[in-house]
Amino acid sequence: MNAPAESVRRLSNKKINIDRVFHALGDPTRRAIVEQLSQRPLSVSMLAKPLAITLAAVVQHLEILEKSGLVHTEKVGRVRTCQIQSDGLSVAEQWITDRRALWERRFDRLGELLAEPDEK
Amino acid sequence: MANQSVTHATYAIERTYPASPERVFAAFSDPAKKRRWFADSASGQAESYELDFKVGGNEVTSRMIRGGPYQGTLLTNHSSFQDIVPGRRIVFAYTMSMGDTRISASLATVELSPTEKGTSLVFTDQAAFFEGADGAEMREQGWRKLFEGLEKALVPR
Repeated sequence: MNAPAESVRRLSNKKINIDRVFHALGDPTRRAIVEQLSQRPLSVSMLAKPLAITLAAVVQHLEILEKSGLVHTEKVGRVRTCQIQSDGLSVAEQWITDRRALWERRFDRLGELLAEPDEK
Repeated sequence: MANQSVTHATYAIERTYPASPERVFAAFSDPAKKRRWFADSASGQAESYELDFKVGGNEVTSRMIRGGPYQGTLLTNHSSFQDIVPGRRIVFAYTMSMGDTRISASLATVELSPTEKGTSLVFTDQAAFFEGADGAEMREQGWRKLFEGLEKALVPR
């Protein structure tokens, strides 16, 4: 079962291109960026430091992440700040996935109960 | 991350059971049966469970979270029934709370219809998720899970 794709597809009211999201997350550097940003917003240079890649490379990765709806960047003065964009793979989607899984498990158990020989 | 106060979402689950709609309905209306599949699970029994199955009646389920960052927190599911058509439909509003904090409110609809082999069940959940629905740790866990799933999805078979 393909959990991330499912959870994206489920949010019918948001237009997220799944192919783009998967392409964006298919690269280990971009996954590292998303993982860092899921903890707190960071500037481009702060992002570049632990990744040990050039600023130009980070900017390129950010462009892809931004187009896929995973990251939002904003320039204030001379500093570009990056943060997770909830339209991409958001916490809410994770919650929907979890909630759905909860109900799926319940309906599995209902099936088991109904499979038992009829009650007294 | 920008704080969104409310996020709306809808999802549906469909199942088919080899039992009559009346029998499936009874698993919702009978407190002992409902508790077995709804409140208790292999991972543990609910701390408490009450069901007053009638329009305007309530159902309260409390479960202790047994792992992760919220271990020891009480997760409470509070439902109130809005509409009941025996053997056909159950509509209820429910909230989920973690400790004293409400994290979501939903309108849920269960529709039952007879099929050749038994009963088709369609469950629709229209949910509003509130701010603070995730703690920082839970968010991180969520992302980790997401990435693990993604890794698997991307590995060529």
